[in-house]
Amino acid sequence: MSDVRAADYVGFETGTDDAAERERFAAIVEHLRPECERVIAQYEDARSALLPILHLFQNEQGWVSPAALRACAQLIDVPLSVVESTASFYTLFFRRPVGRYMLQPCRGVACIIRGAEEQMAHFRERLGIGHLETTDDGLFSYEEVECLAACDRAPCMQVNLEFVYDLTNESIDAMLGEMRAGTCAIARRTQTSPPRRTWIIQQDSGKKSAGAQDVLSPDDPGGIGDRSGKDMLRRIERDPELLLARPTRERLVRDGVAILDGEAEKH
Amino acid sequence: MQLEKILTAGIGELDLCDIAVYREQGGYAQFERAVKELQPAAIVDIAAKSGLRGRGGAGFPTGRKWQFLPNNGRPRYMVCNCDEAEPGTFKDRMLLEYTPHQIIEGILIGTYAIGSRHAYMYIRGEFKRGYETFMKALEQARAADYVGERLFGSDYSVELTVHRGAGAYICGEETALLNSLEGKRGEPRLKPPFPAIKGLYGEPTVVNNVETLGYLPHILRRGPEWFAGVGTPKSTGYKIVSMSGHVQKPGNYEIPLGLPMRTLVYDIAGGLPPGRKFMGIQPGGGSSACLFEEHLDLGYDYEALAGAGSMLGSGAAVVFDDTTDFVKAAHSLVRFFAHESCGQCTPCREGGNWLEMTLERMLHGRGVESDVDMLVDVSHSMTGINLCPLGDSIEPFLASVVKRFPEQFYAYVRTPQTAVAV
Repeated sequence: MSDVRAADYVGFETGTDDAAERERFAAIVEHLRPECERVIAQYEDARSALLPILHLFQNEQGWVSPAALRACAQLIDVPLSVVESTASFYTLFFRRPVGRYMLQPCRGVACIIRGAEEQMAHFRERLGIGHLETTDDGLFSYEEVECLAACDRAPCMQVNLEFVYDLTNESIDAMLGEMRAGTCAIARRTQTSPPRRTWIIQQDSGKKSAGAQDVLSPDDPGGIGDRSGKDMLRRIERDPELLLARPTRERLVRDGVAILDGEAEKH
Repeated sequence: MQLEKILTAGIGELDLCDIAVYREQGGYAQFERAVKELQPAAIVDIAAKSGLRGRGGAGFPTGRKWQFLPNNGRPRYMVCNCDEAEPGTFKDRMLLEYTPHQIIEGILIGTYAIGSRHAYMYIRGEFKRGYETFMKALEQARAADYVGERLFGSDYSVELTVHRGAGAYICGEETALLNSLEGKRGEPRLKPPFPAIKGLYGEPTVVNNVETLGYLPHILRRGPEWFAGVGTPKSTGYKIVSMSGHVQKPGNYEIPLGLPMRTLVYDIAGGLPPGRKFMGIQPGGGSSACLFEEHLDLGYDYEALAGAGSMLGSGAAVVFDDTTDFVKAAHSLVRFFAHESCGQCTPCREGGNWLEMTLERMLHGRGVESDVDMLVDVSHSMTGINLCPLGDSIEPFLASVVKRFPEQFYAYVRTPQTAVAV
C-alpha cells in the first residue's frame, strides 16, 4: 500500500496533482479557519485543539485526508508527523474515504450474549462485505465496534454515530431498505471522494502486535460463518485487486481453496 | 422495591436539559451557595466527610484525591471524565443525555473546591448526541452567568472547555485522558508523578468521573452526614448500576451501596427470563471477575465485591444465564482489551493479541488441550507489569470462568474427529 500512501501526498483526495482539487481544498480550509481558531483559543496549548479540529475537517470532508492532516499541522504549528501519529491512534478518524452510512454494530459482551453474532452475520451477508470494508457503490461501510454503552437495549449499533437499538434481522433489513431508498431518518455522511475497499491503513491501524498481523481468523477468511472460504472467493472474483492489495489475504484464500478441495488434512 | 432517586431523579419525567426546568428543581443553587458562602477548603472537607468515592472504576476517595494537590501557587485543572467505554457500562451516557446541567453544576462545584479556574469535560467520541446535548446546556449555563467571569458578584471566574474524544477506551485512564486532551496519542503515562502533582500541561490536575461530580450538588444540599449515612461505613452513598445481559428489566438503577446482589438481580432488574438458570454475574464492568450463585447474598459495595475476588468497578453488572457460552463471552472481552490496548507495554500488547487468537482458534474447533491452561497462564503472566491497569484487566474474568466452567472450554478443544473443519 506504500505507493498509494505516497501518491496521497500529492493531491488531497484522488492521489493526482490536480490544481482544481487544490483550490477546492484551499476553500475548505478558509471556510473552517475561523472555527478552528476559535477552538484553538479555548486551550492553553494550541496542540490540545488537534482532536477537535480533526473532527471539524472530517465533518467537512467525510474523512481526514492527507491534505487535512497537513492543514491541521499548520493550524496548530506542529510537524505533520505529530498530527499523523495522533490521528492514527483514534479509530473514529477515517484516513480513507468511507461510505455514506457507517454501520457499526456492537460486539461487546452484553450484545454477544444476547445473540449479536447472528445480526453481524446477517449484515455481512446482506451487504456482501466484511469487517472494515465498504460496499462497491460507496453507500455502506461496515465495522464491528467495541461496547457502545447501550447494553440495556442489546444488540445495539451506531449508524453515523446515532444509536439504533434492539436489532433483529428484520429491523436490519428494513433499515438497509430505507437507507437504499433514501428515506432513512439518519443523515448520510458527507462524501467528497469515492471510498476504496477499506479505510484502514494497515501500517498504523492494524493489529498492534507484530506477530498477530492479519492472521486473526484463518479459519473464517470471509468473516463469521465463512469456514469454507466461499464468501472470500466470491469477493475475490468480484474484485481480484484484493489479492494484490492485501497479500496476507492470499494465504487465507489459498487455505480456503484447500479446504474446499477437501485437502485440509495436508495443511 | 422503591428506590430513592438522587442523580437519576426526574429522568424520563422532566426535560432536565432545559436550564429553567433544572433550576426549578433547585439546580445551580448549590454552586451559587458554594461561591457566595463557602470556602473551597470547606467543600473539600464536606466531600471527604461524605465518604464519596470515585464512581468511574477505581473507587478512590474523592476528598482525599483533592487533598493531594500541592499548595504551590501553580494553576490547577479540573477534568471531568466522560469517556465511558467499560463493557457493560452506560450510566454516564444517560447522565450526559438527560441531565447535562447536573453534570455542569457538579464540575463547577468541584472546580471551585480545588481552587481551579479552568475545567475540561472529556466526552467519548461516540457520544455525538450527548456531546450536542451538553454543548446546548453549556450555552444556557453561560448565558445564565454560571460559567464565565466574576460569578455572582464575587471575584471567582471559571471556564469550562468541552473536548470530544475520537474512539479510544484507554483514554478513560486518567493519564491517557490527559495526553489525549493535550492533543497526543492516548497513551498512559508512567506514575508517579500522579496527576495531582503533574497533570494537564504539567500542572496539578484532578480527574473525576461524571457520576462522582454529579453527586456534589446533592451532598452540599443535604449535608455530608446524609450521604455518609447511606450504604456501608466504607462504601457510602448511592451508585448507579447499569444492569444488562440476561435480566428481564435491563437499565440503570440508582441503589444505596451495600444492597444484596440477589435483590439487585431479582427484585430490581426483574430476574432472569422465565425458565432460565442463573450462572454468573460480572459485577463491575469488563475488568471484573465473574461471581456466581454463592456470591449473590453479598452486598453490592466496594469491600464485599473485592473480598470475593471481584470488584465494583464502574458499576456495570452483566448477568449470565444458562444459555451463555462463556468461551464466547470471554472471547468478546479478551478481544475488547486486545483491541483497546494502546500498544505501549509489551505484555499487554502481545498477551492480549495472542489470547484473542487462542480463543479464536478454540471457537473454530481447532484448539488443543493445552490451550485452556495457556489462557490462564498467559493472562496471569501479563498482569501487574504494565503502565496502566488495562493489561491487568483480562485475567479476572477469563480466569474466573475457566476455573468455574472448564468443561465449556474443553468442549472447544480439537478432537481427532473434528480435525477437518468443512
